[in-house]
Amino acid sequence: MQCKDIELVLEQEGLEPLPEDARAHLAECRDCRNYIADLTSLVDAAKKLPSEITPPDRVWISLRAQLEAEGIIRTPAEIVPAESASWWQSISAFFRNRVLATAMVGILIAAAAVFQIRSDRATSALDARKSVETPRPQALQEVPSGEFAGTAQALKDQEPLATGMILASTSPVDASLRDNLKKVNEFIADCERHLKEQPQDELTREYLSAAYQQKAELLSAMIERGRSMN
Amino acid sequence: MELTPARPGTWAKRNILPVLGAGLFLWSAAPARGAGTGQNVERQFKITGRPVVVIHNVANGRIDVKSWKNSEVDVVGTQSSNKVGFDIEQAGDRIDVTATILDPAAQPLELEADLQLTVPEETELQLKTETGLIYVEQVMGDMKLESYAGDVHLKEVSGYIIVKTTGGSLICTQCAGKLDFSSIGGNAQILQPQLNNVNLMTTTGNILFDGDFIRTGLYSMKSGKGLVEVRFSSTDSFDLKAQTATGTVDNQASAFLKPDSHGVKHIASKFTHGLFGTVGMGLAKVELSSYSGTIRIMKRD
Repeated sequence: MQCKDIELVLEQEGLEPLPEDARAHLAECRDCRNYIADLTSLVDAAKKLPSEITPPDRVWISLRAQLEAEGIIRTPAEIVPAESASWWQSISAFFRNRVLATAMVGILIAAAAVFQIRSDRATSALDARKSVETPRPQALQEVPSGEFAGTAQALKDQEPLATGMILASTSPVDASLRDNLKKVNEFIADCERHLKEQPQDELTREYLSAAYQQKAELLSAMIERGRSMN
Repeated sequence: MELTPARPGTWAKRNILPVLGAGLFLWSAAPARGAGTGQNVERQFKITGRPVVVIHNVANGRIDVKSWKNSEVDVVGTQSSNKVGFDIEQAGDRIDVTATILDPAAQPLELEADLQLTVPEETELQLKTETGLIYVEQVMGDMKLESYAGDVHLKEVSGYIIVKTTGGSLICTQCAGKLDFSSIGGNAQILQPQLNNVNLMTTTGNILFDGDFIRTGLYSMKSGKGLVEVRFSSTDSFDLKAQTATGTVDNQASAFLKPDSHGVKHIASKFTHGLFGTVGMGLAKVELSSYSGTIRIMKRD
C-alpha cells in the first residue's frame, strides 16, 4: 500500500478502524502518520465545538454582502413565476410570511449594495477621465444618478417598515436605535453631497459604503427587535 | 393672651412619634417589596476544559463577568420583577444564559435583569445585550460582545475581542491581543493596551488610543465625524498614515515624526488632507482616518 492508497482508504472508510495493510504502511511511513494525526486532531476539535446557534438576520445580510463583494457568490437570477399563478401573486404569497419577507428584503439590500459598489468602481475610472475632459458643472450633472442610487433606494424602501415596527415603543433601546438611524442618515447625506462635488474621492466613497452597510444592519436589527416584541 | 411655651419634653414626644411611626411602617414594608420584585437566581456549573459562555440578555440590564481560579462557572441573575425570567443551561463546557421577557406588556423598569458571572480565567464569551453595561475583567479568551445602547467596559482582558454596538461606547483598559470595534454613535477609548491588531470604526463617535504600539502591530482607526486622537510614547516605533476628506489633521508631534524611513514616498490624494511619517524605526503600522472630524497625533508626557 502507498501513501495515495491511504488517502483513498480514509476517504472511503474514515479514520477507524484502519485495515491491516494500511496499518502496516503507517508503521513505515512518517508522513502518513503525521497526516493521520492531523486528521484525528481536527476531528477531535470539531467534536468539541458547540452546537449550532441560530445567528440573527443581519449576520446573513453582512455575510452575503461580503461574499458577493469578493465574487465568491453571485446575486441569484430572477425567479421565474409558476405558470399557474401570476408573478405578483407569487411574490405577495411569499411576502405573507414576515420572516421570509425580512430575509428577502435584507438580501435585496445587500445585493443592491454590492451591485452599486461594483458599478461605482467600474464607473469611477470613467468619471475620472470625464472630469479631466469636461468642466466641473457637467461632471456634477453626471454623478448623482449613479452614486449608490440602487443601495439608497433599497434602504429607503426598507426604512418605513423598520421604523414602523418600533414606532410605538418608548423603550430607551428603541429611542437609541432611532437616534442612531438619524445619525447614519445625516452622515450618508453629507457623504453623498461631498461625492457629488468630488466624485473621485475614494476616502469618502469608503465611508459612504461603510455607512450604507451600517444602515442595512441597523434596519435589520430594528426589524428583528420589532418582531420579537410583537 | 399670653402664650406659654410648651415643655421641651412634650415637644420632643410630639415630633418624634410621627417620624418613628413612619420609619416603622417603611421598615415593615421593605422586606415585602424586596420579596415581590427583586428576585435572585444563582447557579453553578462544573466544567472540565475552557468554557464557552453565551449570554443573551433581551431585557434591560447589566452583565458583569469576572474570573476566579475555580473550574466552575457561577451565574447570578437578578430580576426587577417576575415579568422577566432566566433560562440557564449547560451543554458540556458551554453555558447558555438567556433573559427572556415573560410579559411583553411590562414597563421598561419591570424588565431589568442583571447578570453577574464568575468564570475561569480562560473562558470564551459571547455576550449580547440591548442596553446596560457589559463589564468584563481579567478574562483570557476570544470574546464577542454586542449591545445596542449599552456601553462595554473591558479591563485586563486578552484574546480576539470583537465589540459591536449601535450607540454604546467602549472603554478598553490594559487589553491584549486583537480588537475589532464597530459602532454608529459610540466612542472608543483604548488605554494602556497590549494589542497587536486593532480595528476601530465609528460613524459619529470619537476614538482615543493612549498607549504603546507593539512592533509589527497593525492599527486602523476610523471615525466618520468624530475625533481620532492617538497618544504615543517616544520609544514607540511605527509608520503613520493619517487622512481626512474634509476634516483636519492636528499634528502635535512633528518633532518626533520623520519622513518615511523605508524609502516609500507617500502622496496624499488631492481630495484628502494627509499626513505620512515615521516614528522610530517604523515597525508598527498605524492608519488613522476621518471623513470630517479631526485627527490628532500627540506624544504622551
